[in-house]
Amino acid sequence: MKSFVQKNKSVWIQILPAALFTIFLTGYSMVMLVKESMASDGNRFKYYSELFRTQTFWDSFYMTLIVALLSTTLALLIGLIITRTFYRLFPSDHWKLIIWLPMLLPHFVAGYILFLLLSQGGFLSSISYQIGWIQEMGQFPVFVQDPFYIGVILSYLWKEIPFVVLMLLPIYQQMNEKYEETARTLGAKKWEVFKTVELPWIWPVLLETGIIIFVFVLSAYEIPGLLGVTYPKLLPVLAYEWFFTGTWENRPLAQAFMVLITVSTVIITFFLIWSAQRLKSRLMKGVDG
Amino acid sequence: MNRYRTKQWVFLTMIVFIFPIPILFLFVKSFSYGWRWPDIFPDQWDGRGWRVIFQDPLLIQSINTTVMIAVIVVLLNLIIAIPAARAISFYNFKGKSVIETLMLTPVFIPELAVSMGIHMTMIRLGLADHVVGVIFIHLYPTLPYSIRILRAGFDKIGKGWEEQAQTIGSNSVQTFWNITMPLILPSVRSAALLTFVISISQYVLTAIIGGGRVTTLSLLYYPYFMSANEAVLASFSVLFALLPFTFFIMTEGLFKLYMFLLRKS
Repeated sequence: MKSFVQKNKSVWIQILPAALFTIFLTGYSMVMLVKESMASDGNRFKYYSELFRTQTFWDSFYMTLIVALLSTTLALLIGLIITRTFYRLFPSDHWKLIIWLPMLLPHFVAGYILFLLLSQGGFLSSISYQIGWIQEMGQFPVFVQDPFYIGVILSYLWKEIPFVVLMLLPIYQQMNEKYEETARTLGAKKWEVFKTVELPWIWPVLLETGIIIFVFVLSAYEIPGLLGVTYPKLLPVLAYEWFFTGTWENRPLAQAFMVLITVSTVIITFFLIWSAQRLKSRLMKGVDG
Repeated sequence: MNRYRTKQWVFLTMIVFIFPIPILFLFVKSFSYGWRWPDIFPDQWDGRGWRVIFQDPLLIQSINTTVMIAVIVVLLNLIIAIPAARAISFYNFKGKSVIETLMLTPVFIPELAVSMGIHMTMIRLGLADHVVGVIFIHLYPTLPYSIRILRAGFDKIGKGWEEQAQTIGSNSVQTFWNITMPLILPSVRSAALLTFVISISQYVLTAIIGGGRVTTLSLLYYPYFMSANEAVLASFSVLFALLPFTFFIMTEGLFKLYMFLLRKS
């Protein structure tokens, strides 16, 4: 019994620094964030109601949501297709390193690469001119620093698709091929094989990857800070600017803002995990019955 | 079989064009001069972009700051994450799943929110506008990934090796350095590289907590984007790829040295 207690103690000592740091920093900064986002007198939620009355906020809110949803869904979809093709075509996986290269670069460099390739004065525009598709620079479509954030979404895709492949490839490699063969011999079509064999196997990782990307895009400044337009700004850019503008009068507004974003990401995360768990138990029941 | 080969080639070509070629393009751009629309090739090749970069004393200094911060963040990450990952992987204890989930929270909480919440306190403690504060805050987005990667590594090797070493009488310090460390080295390498990349790529955390006083490379990148020409900014961008590469080579050397010394003793 004594040795058990001692062992337990040593386990906790090993975990404590990491756990304390993470839990304390998260908890403390959240408490302070909420506290500083409240007005000290009168209407405590003054800054929140001010936020909701601002059109700038709503415009950038919708735009951010669209950008985050599109980036996440497309990254997952394309990443999944690449992973499946890769897994089927290449038995050995040393080629995977070339897919992972973009992960070594910061997001803002990815943004700049997109700028060099896709802006109106960029490389693809030059090629389009040479092969006669366009006669002048202005005829090339505006992909970068455009009001629809196409350049931002493409930059995110270039960075996040390799991340999706990184997360999914090991899962595919651990998958038992026998199930797939069985499903095929039973006459299942491609889509059915994917739905019944692959999807139950990969969805926890797919979901986790999706949440990571979504939360990241929702609150990352780097790429929209570089390639964004002046209106509507994405939420992280707006919040960062309010936090930092000369006098500190807009700080509580930025903080109220971040409280809202954090609360939404936490709710969304919990909801997704919860619904995934329900889906899992349903699938399990299906297997048993 | 032939169709299979063709498919392989088509797929690989597509991948190469989408992922590595744009990086190569950046590299080519950094050595160009007077490459204007609509030329497919530049008029001249020139090292001007690189010269501008390396003649800016502020930039040279910020390379030092950036690398110093990143290396310390990597070391702290390993010191904190290795024991935690090992304990989570090897032992079952009460509240394990709660702890595991809580350690992942930084992935789901926007770092912008954390830095805005902690900023005032950092100012009071004198850590804001200071390298120490920046290092501290860089641990936040990196630690969950380190623990995750290392935990997978520990899961793979299992605790059998350590137990064997202990039954033949080596103490826990010996066991760690002689048995566990060499086995876990591939995961340590991945965690170190990822942490390094995340740290040098940070903009917002460094800007808010560093208050613009701690100038890392990423902080200089934005003003350069506004003013510098394309060759200069391309060189600056390539620099961001060269730093992790150099770091990787150096850690590789260190690991080789470690294994060599271990074998000798």
